[in-house]
Amino acid sequence: MVKSQEAREVVGDYKAGWHDSENSTIRFDSGLSEQVVRDISELKNEPEWMTDMRIKAYRHFVDRPMPTWGNMSMLKEIDFDKICYYLRSSGATENNWDNVPEEIRNTFDRLGIPDAEQKWLSGVTAQYESEAVYHSIREDLVEQGVIFLDMDSGLREYPDLVKKWFCSVVPFSDNKFSALNTAVWSGGSFIYVPKGVHVEMPVQAYFRINAKNMGQFERTLIIADEGSSIHYVEGCTAPTYSTDSLHSAVVELIALPGSHIRYSTVQNWSANVYNLVTKRGIAHEKATIEWVDGNIGSKLTMKYPSVILKGEGSHAEVISVAYSGKGQHQDAGAKIHHLASNTTSKILSKSISKDGGRGSYRGMVTVSAKAENCKLNIVCDALILDEKSRSDTYPTMEVANSTAKCEHEASVSKVSDDQLFYLMSRGHTEEQALALIVNGFFEPFTRELPMEYAVELNALMALEMEGSIG
Amino acid sequence: MNTINNYLEVSELPNRADHLWRYTPWKRVHPTGKVKIIPDKVIEPRIKLLNLDGTGAPNGIELVRGEVDKIDLPDSDLVSTSFIKAITNESKWILKTEGKFTSKEPILLEINAEDDVNAIHLSLDIGERSEFEIVTIVKGNTNWMGLLRTGRIGKGSNINDITVGLQERGTLLRVDSISLGRDSQFKTGTVSSGSERTKADLRYKMGEIGSDLRVLGSILSRDSMHIDYHIEIQHEAPETFSRLEWHAACGGKSKTIGTGMLKVENGSKGADASQNFHNLLLSRNAEADGIPELEVLENEVVGCGHGIANGPIDEEQLFYLHARGFSPADARSALIAAFLNSTLSKMGSPQVHEWLSKMLSSELKSMNTT
Repeated sequence: MVKSQEAREVVGDYKAGWHDSENSTIRFDSGLSEQVVRDISELKNEPEWMTDMRIKAYRHFVDRPMPTWGNMSMLKEIDFDKICYYLRSSGATENNWDNVPEEIRNTFDRLGIPDAEQKWLSGVTAQYESEAVYHSIREDLVEQGVIFLDMDSGLREYPDLVKKWFCSVVPFSDNKFSALNTAVWSGGSFIYVPKGVHVEMPVQAYFRINAKNMGQFERTLIIADEGSSIHYVEGCTAPTYSTDSLHSAVVELIALPGSHIRYSTVQNWSANVYNLVTKRGIAHEKATIEWVDGNIGSKLTMKYPSVILKGEGSHAEVISVAYSGKGQHQDAGAKIHHLASNTTSKILSKSISKDGGRGSYRGMVTVSAKAENCKLNIVCDALILDEKSRSDTYPTMEVANSTAKCEHEASVSKVSDDQLFYLMSRGHTEEQALALIVNGFFEPFTRELPMEYAVELNALMALEMEGSIG
Repeated sequence: MNTINNYLEVSELPNRADHLWRYTPWKRVHPTGKVKIIPDKVIEPRIKLLNLDGTGAPNGIELVRGEVDKIDLPDSDLVSTSFIKAITNESKWILKTEGKFTSKEPILLEINAEDDVNAIHLSLDIGERSEFEIVTIVKGNTNWMGLLRTGRIGKGSNINDITVGLQERGTLLRVDSISLGRDSQFKTGTVSSGSERTKADLRYKMGEIGSDLRVLGSILSRDSMHIDYHIEIQHEAPETFSRLEWHAACGGKSKTIGTGMLKVENGSKGADASQNFHNLLLSRNAEADGIPELEVLENEVVGCGHGIANGPIDEEQLFYLHARGFSPADARSALIAAFLNSTLSKMGSPQVHEWLSKMLSSELKSMNTT
């Protein structure tokens, strides 16, 4: 195990050592201090402004109490002293899979990432623990000026662009976990799409936690310039351990006038991962931001993708599904703030609770006094599959303009006996019928995903439904 | 002294993450704004029980002082409940009916508050299989009025209960904590067009099989009113049914808040529950906020849902009425009245509805909706 002190001594020359039995090239001791934050920044050879911001964020994190809402009993179980805040398992970010260390390459092979890249992606970032291990983008997009880098490379190569937008949508003081992320962030994606460029095929980032008690704190910043468009897809997995890991990301989207950003997530962390994420976008005139958010895994997820509709005529959509199984609490939702006139938004949330799982929708929609003629629609549907599970809905709506038209509706029910009977009378077993109904329930979400993801999600849900009858 | 201590123990400012106090912090509701202070002089408002037509109340229903046997009340907020208990010094009135009490004539309970700080604790002790309508009016010229209603609706009873807020000014703190007996039907309506500031926490528990609850609201907020209603419905038994329909018309610079909590506990098989909040925004400076929450721990339910809708007066409906000769102001008033009437008309018998409509129409005329 490498000590922080030793890490500081070899900063800038990490290839000289930093091995441990888990094939890490650098592993910091567990626990967080101002020195750990400085070490991370120094290791990355960051500009002074970033170090200063990390330190301010760290101090805010220390001062700020834990949230007094949500699943406080689960939140209290997080032991920040047991988390490892930085772990690097590869020497550099490669752009050729052959150069990625074999064990890590095998992991991503098994996850199907290189295969998917060849077939249907414009670019890929693969992050393993704290750092990106692989990165590539199609050459024609580079020629058009599209920047798609891991966040550390983005900061090195485009410091002015990063400085302008970093923390502009999610300030470190936004919440305790955004402060933590800003203090210790590592990895993530940095994307800039120039004016008028449409990235036709999605770009993908895949996040993998491999070590025990690991903290992954990636930071993603996407800027779509005027009239451009991009679809970003992220997936995440981790092995199951008896001890807990922490994933606390921050994602900032900036959709400049007339642009379109779609951000799709299929979160499938193992059931020992706390997934406490802040995702927010700001949409300028006539821009669109869409969050397509699937939460299947993790122990506790608290994630509320947000959009600030700042420009007139801008639009936001959040489509989310959540599956809560044994010991899981998916506390997910959406926040949309209508600050400008003629802005529209739509939220569709679907959740399934099973085997004692708890699914919660927590949302907030506001319409400011100056925002005329806004329209918003929120629909939340939940299915509870057994007696041990529960479903909650906590929506907040604040409307300060009389021209706004706002609707929210939510329903909780069980699987319809009529639907089960119909499918079983046509030859399906009860288990198959239930899986079909569940896939149909999630269909508004899966149809928005790239085909490969949709097929995988359906297979995953069928697997989750196994053994749920009788 | 115990009641004062009970309050002081819980009087620390409630957490604003708790949405009950999110929009109207306790210090804004407290008579002095200083939450550790118990007002020295608290007046008990004058109360009177009679028929809606002004004749004397029938035999079988009475207001008496005393204690009610221990009732399994809903979970309630400790701050507001203990404060009213502290300032009323545990002195309470019981609205008592005998078993099988019925009355075709609606009953009126007048609560008249004057001077600075008024408070009353009213306990409902409704006997089994009773059937009647009761309208409670809170009126008068006071700075502060606290109304705590606790109690139970007896098995198999069928009660229409309507509370009308007509207080000329000041603050109204209203707390309901009522349990429904087996197979009882309890319809409780709120009509609010008075008091500058209203904070209400209405909680109903269905802890016995087969109970049926309807909660209705017609809220008219105007000028600089601040009206904050929290309604909590707790399903804790099988085959229980609840509906909430809440309509608020918000004019002037007023702020209207409707927060709800629908809890369906494990074991409430066959529960059927829904909550709907509708806000009509009538002026540029009015604001309507809502948090209708839902917690469902039982899967064998008929259905549980909620909805909230905010919007302006429908332009097409205005146009339709203009085309048929209504002036713009009359068309607007007619549509506001129709909006409020959609819940008002469900609150009671035709006789009660007519009485409420007359009362509300005069309030509508005084409304500043620009």
